Amino acid sequence: MLLEIEGLCAGYGSGGDILRGVDLSLAEGDFVCLIGPNGAGKSTLLRAISGILRPRRGTIRFDGTDVAGLRPDLLFRRGIAHVPQGRSTFPQMTVHENLLMGAYSIRDRGLARERLEVAAAFFPIVVEQANRRAGLLSGGEQKQVEMARAIVTSPRLMLLDEPTLGLEPRASRTVMAKMRELNEHGVTILLVEQNARTGLGTARTGCVMELGTIKLRGEGQRLLDDPQVKRLYLGESAAV
Amino acid sequence: MNPQLLGQSIVLGILTGGVYALMASGLTLIFGVMRVVNVAHAAMIVMSAYLSWMLYRTLGLDPLLSIIVLMPVFFVLGALGQWVVLRRLGGRDLTLTVLVSFGFAIILEGLQGSLWSSSFQAINTAYSLDSFNILGIYVPLVRLLAAGAALALLGALFVVLSRTNLGRAIRATTQDPRSAALVGVNVEYVTTLAFGLGVAMAAAGGPLLGMLFAFYPATHWLWIGKLLAVVVLGGLGSLKGTFVAAMILGLAEQVATVTISLDWAPLVFYLFLFGVLIVRPRGLFGTVARESL
Ligand SMILES: Nc1ncnc2c1ncn2[C@@H]1O[C@H](COP(=O)(O)OP(=O)(O)OP(=O)(O)O)[C@@H](O)[C@H]1O
Ligand SMILES: [Mg+2]
Repeated sequence: MLLEIEGLCAGYGSGGDILRGVDLSLAEGDFVCLIGPNGAGKSTLLRAISGILRPRRGTIRFDGTDVAGLRPDLLFRRGIAHVPQGRSTFPQMTVHENLLMGAYSIRDRGLARERLEVAAAFFPIVVEQANRRAGLLSGGEQKQVEMARAIVTSPRLMLLDEPTLGLEPRASRTVMAKMRELNEHGVTILLVEQNARTGLGTARTGCVMELGTIKLRGEGQRLLDDPQVKRLYLGESAAV
Repeated sequence: MNPQLLGQSIVLGILTGGVYALMASGLTLIFGVMRVVNVAHAAMIVMSAYLSWMLYRTLGLDPLLSIIVLMPVFFVLGALGQWVVLRRLGGRDLTLTVLVSFGFAIILEGLQGSLWSSSFQAINTAYSLDSFNILGIYVPLVRLLAAGAALALLGALFVVLSRTNLGRAIRATTQDPRSAALVGVNVEYVTTLAFGLGVAMAAAGGPLLGMLFAFYPATHWLWIGKLLAVVVLGGLGSLKGTFVAAMILGLAEQVATVTISLDWAPLVFYLFLFGVLIVRPRGLFGTVARESL
């Protein structure tokens, strides 16, 4: 198992637990989509995995070692890349500089150049728009810049938090296709997706999160056919 | 209005503005990464002026050369202070951090008073009174030297911030610390270095201040007011904005002095500042803080 989470509890400040004993594991090469209602704790789970939020209890084993509580920059260097919900480009920097930040932790210059080229091949937009300020790009373009920046170090695990939120359908499809492509290249992906139909259709495995725990796990297509999931999530997402 | 006098005041305004820009640059840099106004910034500049004055009196070291000595010393002390004290206040309690820097300003002022008395000082070198004439415009040599040194240092700072890995990491941390951490930046470490760099810029401003203006321990209150106005006008945290705003302040002061009167000089700038803030609350080059989703 690449990622093994057991009994994970976490919350904000002095507030109560938002994650209440999450158990979740991902094997190398998995593509897991996490769905669930607003406020279920999906973003919180990703934050705990990437180290932005310090877990209170439980273990997070990454590649065999317990990494719970490590700083986010160290976890990134170990191979966990997190593209958070909303926008996370450096808006005043150019697209090229944003990409360079993805190579910040690579000491070997030759290797950095090589890796930057690979990332640029995946996301041609970073070359096309290289000298524009990232903050001026459209939401879909910025999301691609964020993803390009996140893959420069060739991470083993990618956490993507609602990457298609607020994007128009075409940009949305591009982002989903890029994720599939990355997964085919061996990157393990944990995706949070508001649109359950798209998410479960794209990913191999689906998980349903409710009130801070994983309620259900199954093959993506099978979850789509599950009457309970259909009633709770597909009806809702069709209305959205 | 005498055109020669106007030309003269414009030249002087630009030269002084360059020095103001250098003095304010550290304040901007520190605000950028920490979102805290370092109230002690001007007290640090005055401290550096005193040390430069001492180095000149005791060792005969030229104030411009003392910059080379003072910058690394201030960098190390600043970085240490940030790491040992400010970091522990934990970025969350900004009010506390401002209070600590306020307290530190008072400590520095008291220290200067007890070491060097509270009377006026100035760094007077052999060339302090030299000047020359270009096309009928009178330029004091020290103004030109100070502005030249200020622009060279600002240029160097600009290169560091735009061309080096550390510089980019400082800018990334300024724009979005969480995203910086998520690409492998040790945000605490980078903040400490940026703070040290800001304090080193204050060190560079000291000798220039001492060459151009008289100073005494309490002068830092006057200066912090001026520098804060510059930083706010420029748009908090924007180095480019700080530079432009400092030039405007320098020009406004000098031009108002010759066209209206000396007493009006500061007022003209503050009126301009209020005018800009009414039209553009985020300052000339500021950006609206992005709501986090
Ligand atoms: N920074 C924060 N500080 C305090 N509470 C927070 C913070 N972020 C989220 N929460 C709370 O934690 C709970 C779970 O939030 P989280 O963002 O993880 O939900 P989510 O499943 O990602 O929802 P959504 O689908 O809306 O993105 C919510 O009740 C929310 O109010
Ligand atoms: Mg969320």
